[in-house]
Amino acid sequence: MEVEAGRAPSAAASAPAPVLAAARPQFEALKPHEMSDGKIQFRKVPVPSHRYAPLKRNWMEIYTPVYEQMKIDLRMNLKARRVELKTRSDTPDVSNLQKCADFVHAFMLGFDIADAIALLRLDDLYVDSFEIKDVKTLRGEHLSRAIGRLSGKGGKTKFAIENSTRTRIVIADTKIHILGSFLNIKVARDSLSSLILGSPAAKVYSKLRAVTARLAEKY
Amino acid sequence: MTAVEDEKRGEEALERLRAADPPLYLSPSPELSHVARAAARHLYSALLPFCPKAPVDRLLADEGFDAEQIWCQIDLLSRPLVSTLRREVRRLEREAPEVLVLAGGKTAAEAVEGGHGEEGEEEEEDDDGEEDEEEEDAGAAEEKEDGQEEEEEEDDDDEEEEEEEEGEGKGQGVEDRFLKIKELEEYLEKNEEEEYGQLESRKRKEKGDEEEEEEDADEADLELGDFDEDGDEETDLYENARYEDFFGGKKKRALNKKDGGRKREDSDEDDFSDGSENQKVDDEDIDTQNKNNLSTHEKELQKIRSKIEQMEKANLKPKSWTMQGEVTAAKRPMNSALEVDLAFEHNVRPAPVITEEVTATLEDLIRKRIMEEHFDDVQRAPALPSKAPKEYKELDENKSKKGLAEIYEEEYAQKTGLAPQPLSVSDEQKKEASILFKKLCLKLDALSHFNFAPKPVIEEMSVQANVPALAMEEIAPLAVSDAAMLAPEEIFEGKGDIKEEVELTQADRKRRRANKKRKFKAEMTKRAAKKTRQSVDPSHPSGKQDS
Repeated sequence: MEVEAGRAPSAAASAPAPVLAAARPQFEALKPHEMSDGKIQFRKVPVPSHRYAPLKRNWMEIYTPVYEQMKIDLRMNLKARRVELKTRSDTPDVSNLQKCADFVHAFMLGFDIADAIALLRLDDLYVDSFEIKDVKTLRGEHLSRAIGRLSGKGGKTKFAIENSTRTRIVIADTKIHILGSFLNIKVARDSLSSLILGSPAAKVYSKLRAVTARLAEKY
Repeated sequence: MTAVEDEKRGEEALERLRAADPPLYLSPSPELSHVARAAARHLYSALLPFCPKAPVDRLLADEGFDAEQIWCQIDLLSRPLVSTLRREVRRLEREAPEVLVLAGGKTAAEAVEGGHGEEGEEEEEDDDGEEDEEEEDAGAAEEKEDGQEEEEEEDDDDEEEEEEEEGEGKGQGVEDRFLKIKELEEYLEKNEEEEYGQLESRKRKEKGDEEEEEEDADEADLELGDFDEDGDEETDLYENARYEDFFGGKKKRALNKKDGGRKREDSDEDDFSDGSENQKVDDEDIDTQNKNNLSTHEKELQKIRSKIEQMEKANLKPKSWTMQGEVTAAKRPMNSALEVDLAFEHNVRPAPVITEEVTATLEDLIRKRIMEEHFDDVQRAPALPSKAPKEYKELDENKSKKGLAEIYEEEYAQKTGLAPQPLSVSDEQKKEASILFKKLCLKLDALSHFNFAPKPVIEEMSVQANVPALAMEEIAPLAVSDAAMLAPEEIFEGKGDIKEEVELTQADRKRRRANKKRKFKAEMTKRAAKKTRQSVDPSHPSGKQDS
């Protein structure tokens, strides 16, 4: 009773407080749907022909997290060869659409679902792309050799960079795409650039080791 | 008559002996022996009148007598004769009689020579020795007394004259008024005699009267020193000799060769006498000393004085470089240090002499070391790790099995602490190290403390399947074989006789039930007691309170 009595006066005490200051209205957060004035937003991601079959294979893995967790509508426009995304009324966040679009786009670039999913889950992951000719103009055999240098024998150089920098790298002919956090992307890009420029893999490894140790210490 | 005949026969025998060829003596011939015996008999009889005691009147030298026997007789006869002769010689020495000139141009001495010369074969040597002795004694005795020098020279000159007369016809072609070969010969002989005589006189002075039978040998071995002593003065004089000394002015000394010779001989004699006594003396001293006949003591004193003067002169001279203190190379003659035995300290140990033993010991040592493998190799000192070795993250060159999302998820979980961080290699090593250290500490504690603290039991749970470690084909049945991982106790724990439900007898069932009931009852009472305690106790929260 004393306890109950204790509670009652506090409520009573709070009631006369607004008399002194204006009562702040309490609103609930706007839904994204409402934020855009009830308009639905769309994103379209074109599908390159070489990713068509993988898309068909992994469609459910793409669809499920997008629809279930991100609450974004997803459909494949076969005629236009596009993946289209659309917000729903109960989409919790405005950025979800963009994230999903990025996720699908990453898949189209060539990344795995497991790697691309990280885009959905973490905010500060990006995809960075650049071309070999941005680093150095190479032609013919030199270009082929550079590409070979980048990936290494059986891809071991690429994997080494991926594992040490916690990024994912996709080498598509002359285009290189890197998925990861900003700093990691930078490190990976530096190593790849040095490889393109002609340094041997061992040298790149030693540099990587030093850098990753520093990075690991940070965390 | 018979005596004369005997004499004649004896002399004939002697002649025949002398005429016989020497080779004939090599082989024994009876004729020669007969002749020899006759000669011996003759000689014996010739000597007999001179001997005081004769063993036999006539030499018994018939055919039957041996050479030894004959000789004994001769020896017995001649021994006392020899001693008497010696006595005579000494007497003559002391009182030199005038030499008589006999008809044959021989002196008395020579006549005596002839008489004694044919006594036995072995006596000849002795006689010869005595013969020379006599001559020299005579010469030396004369020399001894300087007053009689002139006499001696006169005698010698007489001899020379006689010899000159004899040998006049020889060298007339070469000779001149300057050079006379005979004079030259005489001069040489005279000097030799004087030399020998000098030695003899000195020896007699020093040793006294001794038998000098072996003076032949002594004379032959003249000391070089004497020659040198004499030589210095002589050479000096002869170097400075001039024409006038020899041949004088054109008319002055041409006639008196002998006087000049005499004077020369005088000077020679002076030199000899001086040489024997002093070594380095001035000319004045020579004259004064020559005049005085110095005693032994004075001569010794002179010797000492000369030595002292020598030493003083040496002291005044500058010392040789070896005696001076510090000497540089410039102050000593070239290569002189090589000739002198220098003594200096060697700071270096002399090189070891390598003998077989040394090499053997070394080789033994080497072999032993090799067998023991005890080498002296330089081993790198282990560097103490100042800090923990850097952990190198191995670059995984394989495709990562986890997706990127999972990696980040794990990272996030570790950061927030939801999931434990995976143990790195260093952590595992640390764990292992700590476990080892704990074991060690336990052991040390057990040793050092009186109170024993048992090992802390670290219960580790692990599921062990009752599967044999090695799946091998076993012939033995499962019950017997020990292939199972678990022990029988681990499979089933129980005591007593385990019986199945079916096997139990009535009594067993009853017993079982009774035990069950007893246990249940005990349990119930305990529970009841607990309940009552709880209800009575006011502090217990579950207790009922009267409000």
